[in-house]
Amino acid sequence: MDSFKEKFVEEALDLINELETVLLRIDKNTEDKELIEHIFRIMHTLKGNSAMFGFILIDQYTHQLETIYDFIRNGKMKVSSELLDLTLASVDHIRNLLDETNSSKPEIQNTHKNLLGRIGKIIGNNQSVPEKKTEIQVVKEDLKTFYVHFKPSVEILANGTNPLFLVEDFGTLGEYMAFPNNDSLPAFEEMVADKCYTSWEILLATKDDDQKIREIFIFAEDSCTLEIQELSDTNLLTVKGFREKITGIGALHKKIGIQKIKELLTSGEKSASKYDNVLLRDINDVANKLKNISSIRVSSEKLDELINLVSELVTTQAGLSLLAEKINNKELLAVAEDVEKLSRRLRDNTFGIRLIPIENMITRFQRLVRELSHELDKEVDFIVEGSDIELDKTIIEGLIDPIMHIIRNSIDHGIESKEVRQKLGKPKKGRITLKAFHSGTNVVIKISDDGAGIDTESIQRHALKKGLLKPDSSISRKDLLDLIFLPGFTTTDKITTISGRGVGMDVVKRNISDLRGELTIETEINSGTEITIKLPITLSIIDGLLVLIDKSYYVVPLSSINRCFEFRHEALVNAVNNLIYIDNGHVPFAYLRKEFGIKTTPPDIEQVIIVEYGNSFFGLAVDNIVGEYQAVLKSLGSMYREQDFVSGATILGDGTVALLLDPNKIISAFTYKLEKAELN
Amino acid sequence: MSTDLTAIQTYLSFKLGDEVFAINVSKVLNILEMKPITKVPKSPDYLKGVINLRGTVLPVVDLRLKFGLAENKVTVDTNIIVISIDKEGDTIMLGIQVDSVKEVLEFKTEEIAPSPSIGTKYNSGFIEGMWRVGENFIMILNIEKVFSVEEIIDFKEHLTETDTLEKAIK
Repeated sequence: MDSFKEKFVEEALDLINELETVLLRIDKNTEDKELIEHIFRIMHTLKGNSAMFGFILIDQYTHQLETIYDFIRNGKMKVSSELLDLTLASVDHIRNLLDETNSSKPEIQNTHKNLLGRIGKIIGNNQSVPEKKTEIQVVKEDLKTFYVHFKPSVEILANGTNPLFLVEDFGTLGEYMAFPNNDSLPAFEEMVADKCYTSWEILLATKDDDQKIREIFIFAEDSCTLEIQELSDTNLLTVKGFREKITGIGALHKKIGIQKIKELLTSGEKSASKYDNVLLRDINDVANKLKNISSIRVSSEKLDELINLVSELVTTQAGLSLLAEKINNKELLAVAEDVEKLSRRLRDNTFGIRLIPIENMITRFQRLVRELSHELDKEVDFIVEGSDIELDKTIIEGLIDPIMHIIRNSIDHGIESKEVRQKLGKPKKGRITLKAFHSGTNVVIKISDDGAGIDTESIQRHALKKGLLKPDSSISRKDLLDLIFLPGFTTTDKITTISGRGVGMDVVKRNISDLRGELTIETEINSGTEITIKLPITLSIIDGLLVLIDKSYYVVPLSSINRCFEFRHEALVNAVNNLIYIDNGHVPFAYLRKEFGIKTTPPDIEQVIIVEYGNSFFGLAVDNIVGEYQAVLKSLGSMYREQDFVSGATILGDGTVALLLDPNKIISAFTYKLEKAELN
Repeated sequence: MSTDLTAIQTYLSFKLGDEVFAINVSKVLNILEMKPITKVPKSPDYLKGVINLRGTVLPVVDLRLKFGLAENKVTVDTNIIVISIDKEGDTIMLGIQVDSVKEVLEFKTEEIAPSPSIGTKYNSGFIEGMWRVGENFIMILNIEKVFSVEEIIDFKEHLTETDTLEKAIK
C-alpha cells in the first residue's frame, strides 16, 4: 500500500507542478478557455486520486477550488489576479499537505482554514448573484474556411523550394491547421534523400479568397498540384470539438480527404450516428497512443546503472580498437570500427536520456518574479529565451538555487521603483531576461536586467571600509566586481528579508563551480547587470586533451585550452620570472613536473599548453601531448578530497587510469604560492 | 545452531612484514593481484594512487605506510584487498595493499582476547582484539576505525602495547 501512496505523491507532485505552470500562463492571458479547461482537469484528477488514497484534506480542499474553476469554465466568473494569488497559495498548501507528517502541524491547519475561508467567500459571492443566463456571443466575422490540398512534385526540392515555408505562409492569411501526409512515402531502401514525398492538407480560416491562396504558390505552381475548395462561410476552426477531432485524425499522417472532413462536420451535428462513434474511438486510440509513448517513468538508479554499463562498454570497445590495430587484421579492424561507431551512438543516446530541457526550472523563476515584484511594488517582465536547451538533470537541480538568488537580487537591487524608472526615462516596467544557448560543448545561461547596475565605486568604498583593499592600491574593474563573490560582502546598507545580508553571491559562485561551471558578471550603471553562467552539458563526459607527464596520463579539459607550443627543456627551466615568450607577449607558466614533485629525467622537448585563465592566458608545461580524448568521467572518491586540482579520473582504452586536471585550481594554487614567495 | 552461527566469526588474515592481521570477511569484496597504479600527485605517500577495477576508479592504500612502517618491495605475493567501509555515512570502496594474503579463519567470539587497554593514550580502537594461534598472535583490525583518520597511524606504539599484552597473556 505504501508503495502505491508513494506513487500517488509522486504523481500528485507532477500534477501540482503542471498546475503551477498553467496558472502562470493564464496570468498572462486570463481569457484562454483551453487553459481554464486544463486547470479544471488537473484539479479534478488531483481530487479523485487524493480521495482514493486517503488524503482527505486535499480531497476536500481541491473540491472547493474546483468549484470556483467550474464557475469560470461556465462563464459565471472571470479569472482575477486575486484568484490566481489564492490558487498559487493553494498550490503551495497542497504541496505541504502531501507530506502527511505536515497535516497535523498547527500552522498548516491554520493556513488550511484561512485558505478555505477565502475560497468559501469567493464561492459565496458568486452564488448570491442571481444566475445570469450566459449568452453565447457569436462574433460576427467574415471568415471563410478553405480546404487546400498541396501536393508538391517529387522534384520540388531540386528547385530550391522549401515546401514547409509555403505551408507556413498560410499564417499570413489567417488561422490555419496543416496536416502532413506520408501516404506516398516509399520503403526505406527506395527512398532518395533529396526527393519530397510528403503532401499537405491545410484548413485555413481567412477573410481573403482563393486567389490569395494561389498567390502563395505563385513560384511553385509548376512543381505542385493544388486543390482549393471552400468548405464553409464560417470559421470551422472554432467549432467546438472539431479541432480536437481533426487533430486526432491528422496525427495518423494519412490523407484525411475533404469527404471525411465534411462527414466530421455533419456527424458533429448528429452525434448519435454510428460512424461518429467509430471515428471517435479511432481518434481516442491515437491520442492515447501518443500519450503513452510521450514519456516513461524510470528511476534514476536504473539510469545510472545503464550509464555505468555504457561507460564500461566504451572503455572495453577502446581496448578492442587498440587490439585490432595491433593485430592489423583487416576484417577485425572493420568490426572494431563498427563497434566503435555503434558504442559512440549508444553512449550519446544514453547520456542524452539524462538531459532535460531547462524549461523544467523556469516555472519556479516565473513564480518568484511574479510574487516578489508584487511584494516590492515593482513591475517586472520576465522573458525566457531558449527554454528548450537541454542540460543534465543534476546540473538543472543544482542551478535552481543560484539562479533564484540572482533573480532575487535583480528584482530587489537591480530593478528600480516605478518612480525612479520614470525619472530616468526608462520604461515603467522592468525587464529580466533569461537566455540560454549552446556554445561549443557548453551551455551558456545569461541573466540580465535593465536595472540600476552595480556601482563599482560603492564596492570600492565598502571594500576599503572592510579592509579588503588598501587605500592606495589600484584594482581593475573586473577584480573589483569579483569582490562581490567574497563571503559576507554586501554594498547595501539596509538589510531586507529578500537580500542584502551578503550571504549569497559567494554561495552562488561556489554552487556554479561545483557544477564545473563558470560565472562572470558585467554591469553598467543605470543600464543593468548581466550575469553569465557557462556550464558543461553533462557532468559525466568531457572533451579533453590527453597528455603525458612522466609515465602518467592526464586529461586537460579542451574547453579551457587555447593553443599548444613546443619548447626545449632548457628554455623552460631557464625562463626568467616564470614567463615564456609566445607570439608577441609574455605568458606565465607552471612547470607541472615540478608542481607534481616528479623527479625523473624530463624529455629534451616539452610541450606547453596555453589555457585561458580569467581574461588572460597561462601555460602548463607537460612532457608530451597524446591527442584529443573524450573522457567518461569517474569520481576519485573522498580519499582524494585534498587533491582538488584533480577533478576526476577516466579509464583509457588499455585499462589504465588517467587523471583529469582542473587548470583553474592548478593556476590559482600556483599564483598563490608565487605571491607568498614574493612577500617573503 | 543459530547461537553458534552468530558466535562464529569469519576473518581474512594477511601479513605486513612478520605481523599477521585479520579483518572481518564481511568487509572484503575481492582480492586482486598487484596491478599498475596511477599515482595522484601531491597526495600522502600511503595513498598509492588509483586502479581500474572493472570500470570503477578505486583508490589504493599501502597499509604498511598507513601504519608508519617502511615501504616494502612489490613481490608476487603482494595483493590488493578490496574492501567496503562506512565513512562519514557513505559507503566507500578502497583497496589495501598488503604483503601477502594468508587464509580465511573462523573462530568463536569468546576466543578473542579484548583489545589492549594498557597505554590508553593510543588506544583508538584500531585493534578489536587478539587471537592466539599457538605461540603467535593475530591482530584483529577494526578497518573502519583505521580509515576514520586521515593521518598515518603510528603503529609501533600499538605494537609495543600488543607486546605487553602478549606477555600478559603468556
